[in-house]
Amino acid sequence: MRKKNKLLVNQNEKTLGQLLVLPLFLLVFGLMGYPFINTIYISLTNKRVGYDSSFIGFKNYIRLFQDPTYWMVLKNTFVYMILAVGVKLVIGMILALTLNEDFKGRAIVRMLLLIPWALPGMVAAMTWKWMYNDTFGIINSILKNIGLIEVSIPWLSSKHLTLYSVIIVNIWRGIPFFIFSLLGGLQTIDGQLYEAAKIDGANMIRRFWSITVPSILPVISITTMLSSIWTFNDFENIWLITGGGPLNSSSVVATYTYQIAFQYNEMAQAVSVAVSIMPILIVMILFASKRIGKED
Amino acid sequence: MHSTTIKRRKQYKNILIYAIVVISLFFTLFPIYWMIKSSLTPDDLMYTPRPSLFPERITFKHYQSLFTETSFMRYFFNSVYVASITTLLSMVISILGSYSMTRLRFRGRIFIMRSIILSYLLPVAVLFIPMYILMSKIGLSDNKNSLLIVYLTFTVPYSCYMLISYFRAIPKSLEEAALIDGCTHLQTLIRIILPIASPGIAVVATFAFTLSWNEYLYALVLTTSPSQQTVTIGISTFQFSDQYIWGLIMSSSVISSIPAVTLYLLAQRYLISGLASGGVKQ
Repeated sequence: MRKKNKLLVNQNEKTLGQLLVLPLFLLVFGLMGYPFINTIYISLTNKRVGYDSSFIGFKNYIRLFQDPTYWMVLKNTFVYMILAVGVKLVIGMILALTLNEDFKGRAIVRMLLLIPWALPGMVAAMTWKWMYNDTFGIINSILKNIGLIEVSIPWLSSKHLTLYSVIIVNIWRGIPFFIFSLLGGLQTIDGQLYEAAKIDGANMIRRFWSITVPSILPVISITTMLSSIWTFNDFENIWLITGGGPLNSSSVVATYTYQIAFQYNEMAQAVSVAVSIMPILIVMILFASKRIGKED
Repeated sequence: MHSTTIKRRKQYKNILIYAIVVISLFFTLFPIYWMIKSSLTPDDLMYTPRPSLFPERITFKHYQSLFTETSFMRYFFNSVYVASITTLLSMVISILGSYSMTRLRFRGRIFIMRSIILSYLLPVAVLFIPMYILMSKIGLSDNKNSLLIVYLTFTVPYSCYMLISYFRAIPKSLEEAALIDGCTHLQTLIRIILPIASPGIAVVATFAFTLSWNEYLYALVLTTSPSQQTVTIGISTFQFSDQYIWGLIMSSSVISSIPAVTLYLLAQRYLISGLASGGVKQ
């Protein structure tokens, strides 16, 4: 009797459990899974907006891989990701270490350093676009006033510079995430480790590499991985500041995809760009999710 | 002798700390200062090759024309509408789901948990075209309500991801006692877990709101007419042929930053522990 009762309770628990995750299930598999799989199918058709489509096999991919613009965009995306994430990691680490020290005004500094992360990306992009402005921009004006340059720097019109100009904006907005994530890790390190190392005569740099880095390595790698995924797929920053130009010099995968889909109306071709970067993304996502899953 | 070197070393360290703080604050805050300053600068002082660093004359003209001559209010209310309803929906879905995944035992639990982490990482840049096609198919093209559905795809995985770690931190013994006393599972959720987790839930809701408020790419492809657009899209339309109207853009940027930044600053106390416990824990 008692046993039967318990079985019944377990059955209830099961049903309730499944019922409660049902919306999640529908969301993840219906709303994300289906379009995601559909993407792969569309990339094998000749779909354009407002027309019927038919299956054309790998033609979109062949066309894509023969297009030098595609390879340039891919290269830009990697430069954008590696440079931006690298700088964010180094500066974020320096600032996290600084904020982990005791000093007057630490709480307020911590709060102020967070602001760029909270701003809408669109606001960050438009503000920097205004500051970079060739004729009226404050950046050129300051540089001229302190005598660093005589002629305005064409931040957004030189094809050698634009990619770096947008990288700076991505760094500006992304540093807080690194600071706070790394700071969270630093605060879990046992202070006694440092005391022991000090007695052993290890200097600051030595202590950093032999205690700090190994202790927060999981935090460092998950933070870097998350930021890499986001930076690799960044859209609005580049789209609003340069539109990918001039001559695609600052075009990245997301802006290129958008352009093909909504300016040339070639949905299928655009989708093939997105699918072509999937292997890279899947590797990054699996690596990151393995790290996140570790706490289970 | 020894104590003076220690003292001096400490002094150097302090100088280094303050130098880093000053430089980083300047780099962080200057663009924000410049946005606010530009929003208050009259046009004749704004469009000069050598703009002055400090405000010479202040005008509220840009703000005035923002509210009287543009559709800014419409964009703003659309954003409030989309972000609030999205937050509400995603909190209900994620609280129920996270409770189920941390407290109830059933088959497929781990599988769902893993899929949520994966979907949290799946970028918008990959999903936006199929999502656009899907929304046109179900008749929601150029409709702000499509954003209510689509935004759940990133707010829910994020919220679950955070809530799961909050719920896990609550000891099970409390509920077990209640269950023995005859409470149902849902009653324990409402009477025991929700009150304990409420600060955490508030923080997660804050970030869900901010994520929706700040979103750009989906809003760009899924809405085209001003009556449906949100602030992030609306602001970038303040152009006269191909000339940007910077006074309007900067003043609307200031206003549309206020909700997200305020919420963030209120919640930032919890951010450090939140980020650390939400997955980046060893």
